[in-house]
Amino acid sequence: MASATQFEPAAPRARGGLLSSLGRLLRRPEAGSFFGMIAVFVFFTVIAGDAFLSLAGLASWLNVAAEVGIVALPIGLLMIAGELDLSIGAIIPASSLCVAIVAGHYGAPEAVGIAAALAIGLLVGFVNGFLVLRTGVPSLIVTIGTMFAVMGLTLGFAVLLTGATSTPLVPSPISKALFGQLVDDMFEVAIAWWLAIIAIMTYLLHISPFGNWIYALGGDRVSARNAGIPTERLTISLFMISGFCAAFLGVCQAMTYQSAQVVGGQSFIFNSIMCVVIGGVLLTGGFGSVVGIVIGTITFAMVNQGIYFTPFDPNFGSVIIGALLLAAVLMNDTFRQMALSYSKKKK
Amino acid sequence: MSNPAIGRLLRHPVAGSIISLAAVIAFFVIFGRARPGEFLGAASWVNFAANLGIVAIPLGILMIAGEIDISVGAMIPAGSMSIAIASGYYGLPIVVGIIISLGIGVLVGLVNGLLTVRTSVPSLIITLGTLVAMQGIVLSASVMLTHSAGVPLTAPQWSKTIFGQLLGGSYQVIILWWLALMAIYFFVMHYTRYGNWIFAMGGDKESARNAGIPTRRMTIALFVLSATSASFVGMCGAILFNSAQVSGGMSYIFNAIVSVVVGGVLLTGGFGSVIGIFFGTLTFAVVSQGIYFTNIDRNWSSLIIGMMLLLAVVMNNLFRKMALTYSPRKKEVRTGQ
Repeated sequence: MASATQFEPAAPRARGGLLSSLGRLLRRPEAGSFFGMIAVFVFFTVIAGDAFLSLAGLASWLNVAAEVGIVALPIGLLMIAGELDLSIGAIIPASSLCVAIVAGHYGAPEAVGIAAALAIGLLVGFVNGFLVLRTGVPSLIVTIGTMFAVMGLTLGFAVLLTGATSTPLVPSPISKALFGQLVDDMFEVAIAWWLAIIAIMTYLLHISPFGNWIYALGGDRVSARNAGIPTERLTISLFMISGFCAAFLGVCQAMTYQSAQVVGGQSFIFNSIMCVVIGGVLLTGGFGSVVGIVIGTITFAMVNQGIYFTPFDPNFGSVIIGALLLAAVLMNDTFRQMALSYSKKKK
Repeated sequence: MSNPAIGRLLRHPVAGSIISLAAVIAFFVIFGRARPGEFLGAASWVNFAANLGIVAIPLGILMIAGEIDISVGAMIPAGSMSIAIASGYYGLPIVVGIIISLGIGVLVGLVNGLLTVRTSVPSLIITLGTLVAMQGIVLSASVMLTHSAGVPLTAPQWSKTIFGQLLGGSYQVIILWWLALMAIYFFVMHYTRYGNWIFAMGGDKESARNAGIPTRRMTIALFVLSATSASFVGMCGAILFNSAQVSGGMSYIFNAIVSVVVGGVLLTGGFGSVIGIFFGTLTFAVVSQGIYFTNIDRNWSSLIIGMMLLLAVVMNNLFRKMALTYSPRKKEVRTGQ
């Protein structure tokens, strides 16, 4: 029984030619999400036509993809490692308010505000990781706790320090150019940051040894630790990365919109998880890729924004996203089973 | 620790949630100079607890069985919207509206349950999908059918009496529903075989099935229960307020999960109690609504809820360890003292 699931090492290649490489491609974890993205793209191209394909159409979904993508990537890494982080929904407004209060309200140098905001993200991430490790409580619950706590702290301090729930911020030209510029009046500079984070995450997950550790952690935590992987440090680092990225997005938002609010950010919780799942990552860990997460993010953003170019009611977009999510999940399930049970045909 | 009764009480799964409630009230009284007389007479927190509790108990039972359902956040607006569209906009009899409203809950619950037992996908992800899909369906259906996002509903008197009455001027009749449902859940969970089955499923699904428990049917039934309870809350709201709102269900997701966890239920399943969930809900309601009766700025309520959740989680862990490792003291130890 056990031998049936073992992989044959170094199976002879170059047999079957095109058909077998197609088969191999189909068994890639991203295959399902890739077809989903193509289907969504074709759907909106047919229904909405030029408006969707235009530069403005491109910008509208790319902006959304970049914002969600910046948090979806680290969330994806966490999910591959078998954890979950909902506290990002509170970190985003917390960090954007932090910049606005430090730099806008008190007039301190912007670098200080940005550093403080990013430090908040790192700190919350550390607390998340620490609590998950120390208590053994599922990270879903721990991060709901920190989410509520950070939400309360943000609201409390904002009102205490500034007397209002929103704070204006006039960014200096440099930080505006770096974090909040609209290139060509359409494209947020966050897109460039997103691409940079994609590159870093690809390196981390697929090239550096760190990536193998993450997969091992998601596959089986105990075995990973027995194999000598510093699982505790790794878990805390992953939570800190996700806190940091969420804080970074908060900074970008404050610079782009030139003000920060207490609310907003909640939508990122489920949106980022949806992007990751549409991208073929399993919640149970040990499975997924950066390419998949990027594809999932693009698919999500195309539906989210593309719907406005169609005659449909915008709310119908959620129906598509929900259906897509369920379809992705079912397809991934099938593909994964195919991949895991695949064996070369016997002579 | 010399008193065995106190020890036994502390090891009871309900202990953590009762202590949380007591701690929150003590905190409010000492630091917030709460006005207990005013607070006890106020209906706001009881109404809040009842609405939340009707959703939280079936969700908690689902969590005891090792699953989770976040689609409840979309089912509350769905339940309220469907009855308002059917009976308010199209003028169908209120009974038809009630049936449609609860029927949608049953349907979504069936989808959640079937997908959970048929696939290897965690129920968090499946119900996230149905959550988003139902949100879209409810919003676009209401815009398409009625061309507005808020639909008025005039319910006949008898249905108001049952589902949407204000007792004593400010207490919603849903409080009685909450207490009645809690009694039923309590009986089922702790005095029938179904309760044992649910605990067994949460402990180890595989073994539970091998022991002959119809785990699939039970899982589906629990999902139907939680989705229908949520649409019931939405329906009662529509009848009470004479209109349906599409927004405002999302907060129930986290609020209900927090109530359940503060009530001592493990997300990993197999542990918890109906009474614990009841106290967890009560604690949550006291924090989020009771803060208005204190001198503490209400903006801090989220912070208190977050800290409370984290503390509860740590405390529950501790109590559970005590309960699981407890054994009566050996003779040798006693003579050694």
